[in-house]
Amino acid sequence: MRLLDWVVLVGSLTSIIAYGLYRGRGSNTVDRYLLGGKSMPWYAMALSIMATQASAITFISTTGQSYVDGMRFVQFYFGLPLAMVVLCATAVPIFHRAKVYTAYEYLEHRFDAKTRALASLIFLMQRGLSVGLTFYAPAIVLSVIFGWPDRLTTLIIGVTVVVYTVTGGIRTVTWTDVQQMLIILFGLLVALITIVHMLPRQVSLLDAMSLAGSAGKLNAVNFHFDWNDRYNLWSGLIGGMFLALSYFGCDQSQVQRYLTGKSIAQSKLSLLFTAVAKIPMQFFILFIGAMVFVFYIFEPPPLIFQRIEYDRLRSGEVRTQYEPIAARYRDAFTRRKQAALDIVAARHGGDPRGQSDALSRYRQALKDVDGARSQGASLVAATGGERGFKDTNYIFLSFVTRYLPAGIVGLVIAVILAATMSSSSGEINSLATVSIVDIYKRHFRKGASDHHYLTASRVATAFWGAYAVAFAGFGKNLGSLIEAVNIVGSLFYGSLLGVFTLAFFFKRVTGTGAFCGMLAGEAAIFAAFSFTGISFLWYNVIGCVVVIVTATAVSFFSPAASATPGTAS
Amino acid sequence: MLPNERDLPDEPPPFLGAWPRVYAAVVLYLALVIAACYCFTRFFA
Repeated sequence: MRLLDWVVLVGSLTSIIAYGLYRGRGSNTVDRYLLGGKSMPWYAMALSIMATQASAITFISTTGQSYVDGMRFVQFYFGLPLAMVVLCATAVPIFHRAKVYTAYEYLEHRFDAKTRALASLIFLMQRGLSVGLTFYAPAIVLSVIFGWPDRLTTLIIGVTVVVYTVTGGIRTVTWTDVQQMLIILFGLLVALITIVHMLPRQVSLLDAMSLAGSAGKLNAVNFHFDWNDRYNLWSGLIGGMFLALSYFGCDQSQVQRYLTGKSIAQSKLSLLFTAVAKIPMQFFILFIGAMVFVFYIFEPPPLIFQRIEYDRLRSGEVRTQYEPIAARYRDAFTRRKQAALDIVAARHGGDPRGQSDALSRYRQALKDVDGARSQGASLVAATGGERGFKDTNYIFLSFVTRYLPAGIVGLVIAVILAATMSSSSGEINSLATVSIVDIYKRHFRKGASDHHYLTASRVATAFWGAYAVAFAGFGKNLGSLIEAVNIVGSLFYGSLLGVFTLAFFFKRVTGTGAFCGMLAGEAAIFAAFSFTGISFLWYNVIGCVVVIVTATAVSFFSPAASATPGTAS
Repeated sequence: MLPNERDLPDEPPPFLGAWPRVYAAVVLYLALVIAACYCFTRFFA
């Protein structure tokens, strides 16, 4: 990084945190610390929701995913607007009117204390695992760029996040999220413009899109239904809707955002804004990955984007095995570049036959490039690298640091760090809230003073920050991080969604029924994960259905355990 | 219905007059986005 990059990076992050701390002053009661005194406007909540969801993983891994697999990942978000509509019509008014701090508190109103406790523990497990991954992504960034150890990077980011989250509570979290989201959008726009500008002069944006499309990288929609295909329209609409329902309706890290709203209407508007903005934003990020792919048609990409493994292959004993693969890769790259230039020339010259001929050469060369890359990855794994090695998470960063001009690199790094901080601060804040409100206050220390719970909330925030930093290395062997995060979430969300569906719509279901249903739902999800090849997007559907069926059956056969509302604290 | 559940009124949205109309607009928007993505895929494939 050059001086200008450092100025942009440090300047933007410092100003974001300072502004957040300024807006978070006066968070001196539990209500203000955890719910911001219910004073947030809809646009702040909306940007905070989007910023919490868009972690560094979104930018690092999604762009790499698009480079490798095309844009079909965007279908994952098609169910989100439907979920938002359902939540606005159901969960938002219910949570607001119940005047709860957490979503799980409502479960005790509706069912009983054990159901609330189980849901809280499932959330703590799920979010506790994910928050480590959130920290790990930027650690990759800085280890690639500066060669810093992952642990040190994680520690520096973690301490920064914990300090401002502990100090200012949810107000600081929300207002820093707003600034971080604006930086993210600006940084992405600048990155895309820069990439397109760096393409060869004769290659227009339309040419670039045509080349990406011919390589199958602009495959945004696939109507073909397949249970085992992760991303198609149907898994996106149905599975994605269930995942979004779970995430935005049952995950405290999101629910807490819209519980800070001034009114029900403000909270609804924040979710509907997210519903409208999320797909274009993800499309845009994936499109950047596709354009990076086009850029590398004309500039030779490394065989392996993970620099440490790449250097290892090129030196030492492995070199003799690496050289033939590298030679094939270089040859395939040269043929692909020439074929791409021929396609562009034929397009501009109105020569359909020449275009067709160049296209078939281009596609053959693409296969050869991909084949050589696969061989390179296999060589990494076979010669002491990690098993099932993938370099998806390194593609975008490798490109940024190697080709983007001074200032833009700093801005992109600021985007990635801002995204990490916005996600992790929201997650840590929600983990602390559930720990204190649903576990500590409910089961260990009832009736203490407001000051006591405020202090306990701050201690819990610091604890979860330390926990996240300690478990950040968990993501190292999980391949594409964006998928890893969603898979971890899907292992737990189905049960939570099921129990909230019961709470909202099944008036006859008892607390015991809901409790047994959640246990059965978790068992079904883990069975699907362990013994079938079903795509993770369907886990939420499976879990939710099993919870509802089991809870209904148990409630039917044990009606004595009636649904008496408990006394929530 | 739990205690206090009716304490907070559901204000109308700032546009389109009623929440169901806003929800319908979001669903329509989704349909248009999917159609646009389909055209995008087909055009560049």
